Order: sequence, then structure tokens, then C-alpha cells
Amino acid sequence: MIELLAQTGLNAIYGASYISLVAVGLVLIFGVMGVVNFAHGELFMAGAYVVVALYAERFVPFFIAVAAGLIFVGLLGLLMERSLFRPLRDNPLGGLVASIGFLMILQSLAVMGFGVRMEHIPPVTQEVIEFSDRVRLPVARLYVILAAVVMLSLLSYFLKRTRFGWALRASAQDPQAAALQGISVNATAKIAMFIGAGFAGLAGALSAPLVSVTPHMGHSIIVTAFIVIIVGGIGSLEGAVLASVIYAVVHTFVTTFYDGVLADITGLALMLLVLIVKPTGLFGTANRA
Amino acid sequence: MRNTIIWIAVAAGLVALPEFLSYSQQEILVFLAINILLVSSYRLLTLTGEWSLAHVVIMGVGAYTSALLTKAVGLYVPLGIIVGGVAAGLIAFALSYLLFRMKGFYFLIGSFASGEIIRLLWRRFREPFGGSKGLKGIEAMPDFSIGFHRFDFFEPASYFYFTALVVALCLWVLWRIEKSPVGLTFHAVHWQDHLAQASGVNVRAYRTLAFVVASGFAGIAGALLAHYVGTINPNSFSVEVMVFVLTWAIVGGTRTFYGPIIGCIVLTILNEVVLRELGLEQTRPLIYGAILILSILFMPKGLEGIVQKFLPKQEAR
Amino acid sequence: MDWMAFRRSFSRRTFLRSSAVAAMGAALPKFSLAAGDTIKIGFLAPLTGPVAAWGAPGLDGCRIWAERVNAEGGIKLADGNYQVEFVAYDDEYDPAKARTGATKLIREDGVSFVMMLGGDTWPGAQPVAERTGMLFSTLLPSDLSPDTTTLIAPSEVHPIYVVTGVDWLAQNRPELSTAVMCAQDDSLGLPSVATYLAAFEAAGIEMQGEPLLFDPSTTDFAPIVTRLLSTNPDIVCLDTCYSDYVHPICEQLFQQGFKGQIISATADFYDQLIAKTSKEFMEGFIFQFPDFDDPALNADNINFPDANGFYDEYSKRHPGQWGAVSWEYAAIMDLWKAAAEKAGTVEPEAVLAAMQEDGKGRHAFGEAVWWGEELFGINNALVGDWPVVMIEDGKAVIKEFRSIPDWYDKHSDLLIKHMEAYGQMWSQRS
Repeated sequence: MIELLAQTGLNAIYGASYISLVAVGLVLIFGVMGVVNFAHGELFMAGAYVVVALYAERFVPFFIAVAAGLIFVGLLGLLMERSLFRPLRDNPLGGLVASIGFLMILQSLAVMGFGVRMEHIPPVTQEVIEFSDRVRLPVARLYVILAAVVMLSLLSYFLKRTRFGWALRASAQDPQAAALQGISVNATAKIAMFIGAGFAGLAGALSAPLVSVTPHMGHSIIVTAFIVIIVGGIGSLEGAVLASVIYAVVHTFVTTFYDGVLADITGLALMLLVLIVKPTGLFGTANRA
Repeated sequence: MRNTIIWIAVAAGLVALPEFLSYSQQEILVFLAINILLVSSYRLLTLTGEWSLAHVVIMGVGAYTSALLTKAVGLYVPLGIIVGGVAAGLIAFALSYLLFRMKGFYFLIGSFASGEIIRLLWRRFREPFGGSKGLKGIEAMPDFSIGFHRFDFFEPASYFYFTALVVALCLWVLWRIEKSPVGLTFHAVHWQDHLAQASGVNVRAYRTLAFVVASGFAGIAGALLAHYVGTINPNSFSVEVMVFVLTWAIVGGTRTFYGPIIGCIVLTILNEVVLRELGLEQTRPLIYGAILILSILFMPKGLEGIVQKFLPKQEAR
Repeated sequence: MDWMAFRRSFSRRTFLRSSAVAAMGAALPKFSLAAGDTIKIGFLAPLTGPVAAWGAPGLDGCRIWAERVNAEGGIKLADGNYQVEFVAYDDEYDPAKARTGATKLIREDGVSFVMMLGGDTWPGAQPVAERTGMLFSTLLPSDLSPDTTTLIAPSEVHPIYVVTGVDWLAQNRPELSTAVMCAQDDSLGLPSVATYLAAFEAAGIEMQGEPLLFDPSTTDFAPIVTRLLSTNPDIVCLDTCYSDYVHPICEQLFQQGFKGQIISATADFYDQLIAKTSKEFMEGFIFQFPDFDDPALNADNINFPDANGFYDEYSKRHPGQWGAVSWEYAAIMDLWKAAAEKAGTVEPEAVLAAMQEDGKGRHAFGEAVWWGEELFGINNALVGDWPVVMIEDGKAVIKEFRSIPDWYDKHSDLLIKHMEAYGQMWSQRS
């Protein structure tokens, strides 16, 4: 039983890692730009497919492929910012619809480029850390955990200790005041989109060898991400991370000890509970609504 | 007088329409009629400024209710459809206690969560909802004759007439609601909710009313669907379908009553007829997505904006 | 007006059963072809969307089939030879679109036969099938019911073929005594859950807990696998999980240290499975779908013409895409073509009669019987032998063909019991 709990705990930490990367990206985009990026799950998917194209099909070393995934999806984010969100800055619903259109395009491109069937990615490493016979952590999963820790720490440093980061936070807090202070709205939007999208792409790229890569893999990730950012609080990055951990723990344990559908229901119910009791979430502040 | 003539002409056109269409196009026509009701009921909700993502699931509540009742107690199908609408309204009323503590983005996500929970409940419980397989063998609208013509409701043309009649009636009711003092209050709640509140309007009550009424009509649409196709499952009411409704409303525009209707008609014909004819199955979603983006970027007033250019100056709402 | 009487007398079902299809003559497509016409076959299945893997590869296989048949002169009916072509409609696994598609294929495109995947979409197309009397095929016998005499399931006999794998395992590896199972929670997963449970019970293998049903959109299988392994089972059964699930589940089984027996209905792209785990890990993996370059498919009892050649052509055009579904629709076409040529016409009633003459038919894997009344209410599933396939030294090898009807004769009560428990018996539907 102890072993079961321990292994489940390890599974949960892995889940929290890639979820938090995706959720933080979504929070950044919503916080700074005020737009709901429905295509975020497809950005995750795009990162996975970069790894497919480079690592699986062309044998580029894995970590280079992952870095390429981060950059490529970050650029996709910039494309979205320039062509969709910037012209529709005054029309958040329009931005939402545009992101829906973009997600359909991305899915379609994935199908046309790679086919509907799942992709096959050779394992990065088959090493496993064995704590005991029944409690094991595959090193490939460890990479995701480490990446999440590293990237989130870097982001935190960036936001709190650098000028750009400070500008981003100011824009998120109060865009008009920030603009009056001379902070370029366009510049902050671009940075937020690049980082936000890039994180999703990174999560997708690192997860690619571990999950089934299909053009529709983005769907469940976006639902999870929305739950997490609500529970954590819309404007709060710390909240998103904490909520990712809570969600991953709850979902993983319920799946293992009961079943997956119940776990989904529990996650949604948790989100509703937070919305009713403390709508701004665990860490949220009441600004962007 | 002129308006009456126009309406008679429209009615005559609708009666004649199936003659000009192929069988499969008639089928699409039935779904189109149902979806017009769905999107118009959605618009009522958006009048108060709230965008919900649970609308299609609530449509499903109407569908499941009518399907189960007509089979379990042999309820006459048209009554079943009405009961489906009522059930949907009741569920909406219950949900409103949860959801109307939230506004804006939170309401959007909260409504999504509520919808998904309902859908997952259908999935999980094979008794009585049929689980992930859903329900099949749903009672069809019973055939009847009116002297000169026997209506066989399997035929898409006949069901289209029935549906068009029901939908027209519902649209008329929606239109009257919007034009009534209640409707004006909906607008006030949307645009000036602090002002409305200061004038003594119970904002939350009106939001709830709009939500419940819109949901009732969505339930009717769901029941119409269930009794036509004869089978429903939780995927029939998934978020993908909700996304389509959302895009019809936004691309069509919600400032006018007919905006979402135009959006629905144009986008449905595009997706189901035009793109299928072109035969490139895999690229259908791509082209649809591209058209969505282009229309949002270059037609910010929605399709209704184009129509308005051609109409004589009228009261915009 | 007495509405109750109206409903009773005019309910759609009684109308259909009491009136002959001939009464609907005006709405029916013409079944007589003029010389020089092409025979059109409808392909109504998901070509896009998450379930496309069960439809699109089948269409690819059918196109190869059509080329071969046309090159050999086409289909030979009483009044001449006809070329054959496929008309596809993407139903996106949505019953409403399946209905529209069925209407279009039958009433506008003039097809003579419609092949479907079945499952969620069949109930949508069913009214159209019943009204027009068109012959339909499905891959899923769980769609069959006495209401539709023109629906047949002549190829994949999902889910009952899975009993052969368990039966073989029980006979050849009797030391395995405990099992756990997981399955995706959808209309394809549940009937086979019941069947596997019956098969395990018949073999005296103990199930260590209820089958674990997971959401089809699951991507991370670690929690599920952890749960499966927590009781130390001898056998892990993957039911009819799609390859999207088989792969990550097997990877997790490997990474979490499972060393026992795995049994599954499918193992598409097993070469990739080996790459992701190891040859040793996959050694002895049992499933039910052979590669068509297997020499056992050249035996006389096999009714799939030139299986090896078909496999080569398919692999050439769609490298690395061969899977369970790639040949099944083409196998149905072989059956249909033989029956149409025997009957001399494409008229559905005649073709069906020719197909079911003597209650026997030539299934791809051998002589088979039209079967299924107890489970499905109608003998419209073509059931005979089915191969048990094992991965040996990195290659899928047919170990044996086992007879499904023989198993059923011995254990039908168990199967009925479990099907009822899961609500899968035909009488429990609708």
C-alpha cells in the first residue's frame, strides 16, 4: 500500500509538471492580453509534433529538438499575437473566435502533414530510477519534472528581477497605467505570447515520447489548463503552479483508486467549488474578468 | 401590410424549398432548422451580456429527457418535446444558483464546468442514460394524415415542415420577449448593469430569467433532434458542438435578432455542403478555421453588418 | 381524434414491419444498371476526427482492392462486366451525419451496397437502411438486431473473436491464473469487456477486480497502470484498446516493471512497440490481427486472395500504416462480389440471399457460418475461425486458428451472463 501511494505520488508530480507549464503559459497570455487563447492545447500539440518531425523522423538529438519545439511554438505565438490578437485587441470575443479558427487550422495541418494515426517516437532513454521494486521513476519523466522546475524558476526570476518582467506584470495589473508609464503594449504582448506559447510547446515537446501524439491531443490539455487557472486564480502565476499540483494530485489519486471519469468529474467539481466560494481563485486578485 | 406579404412569401418559399434540394440536402435542412433555434436561443442569453458554454449540454438535457420519457411512459412525442424544454429550463434554473455568482470570464468557465459535469454523468451512468453509447431507438414523431396528405416524419421534408413550424413559433416568442419590457431590461442589464441596479432592477433575477428561457428553447431544439435522428449520445452535445454555436453567433453578429441566424445558415452551408462537395475531407476544418479568422478580422460587425448595409435605416436592435 | 390509437397504429416500427419495402418503391434507388455503368459502393465511416483510424485506412485498402478487381475485368454480373468504384462519405463518427451520408449515398449516388464502421453511427443510418432495404455491413456485430435484416457483420466479428486468444493462452500457458483488464469507455470497449470476462471465466482465470474503464481522451496512463499492477497479476488484458492506448499502456507496463503476459485484441505498429520497450518485453505478446505477409495466410482454407500481395501493395503506398482495419473492408468486398456474381445482380435482397445460402459463407479466415441469433437476435454475423497471433522474436506470427463457434458451444452461458451484466445483449438495446 505504501508503495502504491508512493508510485501514485510520483505519477502525480509528473502530471503537475507538464500541466503547470501549460497553465502558466495560459495565465500569462490571459493576464497580459486579456484574451482567452482556445488554441493553447494545439500549441502543446505543435510542440510535440516538432519533436516528431525532428527527433523521431530526422534523428536530431532529443534536447535540441525540444529546444526547437519551444522556439517554434513561441514563434507561432508571436504569429498569433500579430495577426489575430493585436487587431482584435478591443474585441475579446473576436479574439476567442479567432483562436478557435487557429486551432482548427493547426489540427488540420497536423493531420495533413502527419496523418491521423498516433505518432511513434523512440524512447529518449529507457533508464528507470528504482526506489523499490514497485516504485519507479522513468528518467524520461524526470526530465519533464526538472524542466518544469527550471523553467518556472527562470520565469519567476525574469518577472521579478528584470525590467521586461516588471513591465509584463505592470501591463497585467493595469494596462492603461502601464501604457502611460511608457511601457509598450505591443512589446509586452509579444513577450507574453512568446513565453506563454513557448512554455506550452516545451511541455508538448518533452511529453511527446511519453504520451500518444495525435492531432487531437490538445483537447484534454486545454480543459485541464482552464480548470487549473481558475482554481489558482486568473492573474496569478504562483496560483497556477500550486493549482497544478493540487489538481494533479487529486486527479492522479482518484484515477488510481477509483476511475478516470470520476477523476474528471472531481476536477470539474473542484473548479466549480472554487468559483462559488472564492471566484478569484486561491491566489487571484480581482482585476481581469 | 407590406410585412405580412413578405412573411407569406417567406413561408411559401420555405414550403417549396425541399423540392429544389436533394435528399441529403433536405436532411441538412432539418438540422439547420434545429440549429437556428439553438443559436437564436443562445442569443437571448447573450443579450444580458453573459456567454455560456453550457448551452449545448442543456440542449442535451432536453434531448435526453424527451427521449427517456417518450420511451418509458409512452408520452406523445410532441408533448415529450415540450417536457424536454421544461426540463432544460429547470436544470438551468438550478444551475443559475451556482453560476450567477460569477460574471464574464468566470461565468464562461463555470458554465463550461457545469456542462461537462452533466455530460460526464451521462457517460458514467449506463442506467438510465445509456453511458457512452447513449440512447437509441428513440421514438419518432408519429405519422399522421390531414386529409390530402400523409405526413411521414421519417422523410426529411416532412420533418422539416414540422420543425420549421415549431422553430418559427419559438422564434416568434423569442422575438416578442426581446421587444417587450422584459427584453429591454435584458439590454439594460447588459450595458448598464450598475445603472440598472441603481434603478431597482434585480439584475440577477433578469439574468436568471434570460438563462432559463434560453435554456428552455435549447431543450426543445434538443428534443427535436433526438426524435429525428433516433439516437443520441454524450458526444452529440460535446464542447465541439458548443464551439460551432459560439462561432455562428459571433460571426453572424449578435446585435440583431437575425445575426446569429445568418451566421448559422452561412457557416453550416459552407461546412456541410460547399466543403464536402470540394471533396477534400482533411482540409475542411482548415478552410473553416481560416474563414472564421478572416471573417472576424475583416467583418467585425459580423455578417449582420453586411445585411444592414443593404437595409433601409431601421432601429438597430 | 384518438391520439393513443394513432400512435399505436402508426408507430414507425409497426409500419416498417408490416409493409413491404415495395410499398416505398417510388423513393428507392434503381437497382438495375445499364451496361457500361460502374457499380458504386458506399463507404460510410469516420475519415476525420479522433476515430478516423478505424475508417480511413479501410478506404485505402478498398481502393487497392478496386484496382485489382477492375484490372481483372471487374464484377461479372448476368448482363455483363462492370467496373467498381467507391464513394466515400465522412460521418465523423456522428450518427446525425451518418444518416445524412446514408441518404446521400443511397438516394443520390445510387450505391449498391454500403459499408460502415458501425458503433455509435449505426443507429443514425439504421432508419435509412430499413426504409430503403439497402444492404449494409458493419465491423461490429454488436450493431446487429432482428430489426434490420439487411445489416451484416461478415468480417471483423468484434468482440467475440477475442475468446480465441484467451482460450489459446489457457491451453498453452496454464500456469497463468490471475488477470486484470483495462478498456476505453466507449461503444467499442464495452462489448469486448464482457466477452473477455466470459473468456477468462471459461478458462478458469481469476479476475483481480473490475475492469478499469478509462476516458478516451486520456493521454497519461501511469496512474492506470499503477493501479493495474498493484495486485501483481499474471496477465494484463488490454481489451480492444486502440493503438493510441496500447502503446502508452505497454510503455508504462514496461517502465513500471511488469514481467507477465499481455493479451490484447490489437497491436498495430508492434514494431514501434518493441522499439519503445524491448524485444524481450514484447516476446509472447498475444493479439488477434496478423500481418498479411504471414505465410499461414497462403493456406487453402484462407479466402483472402493473394494476401501477401495485398500487404505488399498496401505497405508500398502507405508505408508503416498497416493495421487491423486495412484489410477488413476489402475482405467484405470479396464476399459481396462473390455473392453478386452468384446472384447475377446487385439487388440487395438477392445478393444477401446468395451470400447466406446454406447458412455458410467464405470468411477471410476460412469456411464460416452465419451465426449470432442468441447474442444478436439474428444470424447475420459470419463467424468461423480466427487467428491467435503472437509476437515471436520481434515478428507477429499466427500460432493457430481457433474456432469461435466451438468455443461458444461450450461456454455460451458464460458469455450471455456477462453480456447481460454489461447491457450488451441485443434485447437490452433500444
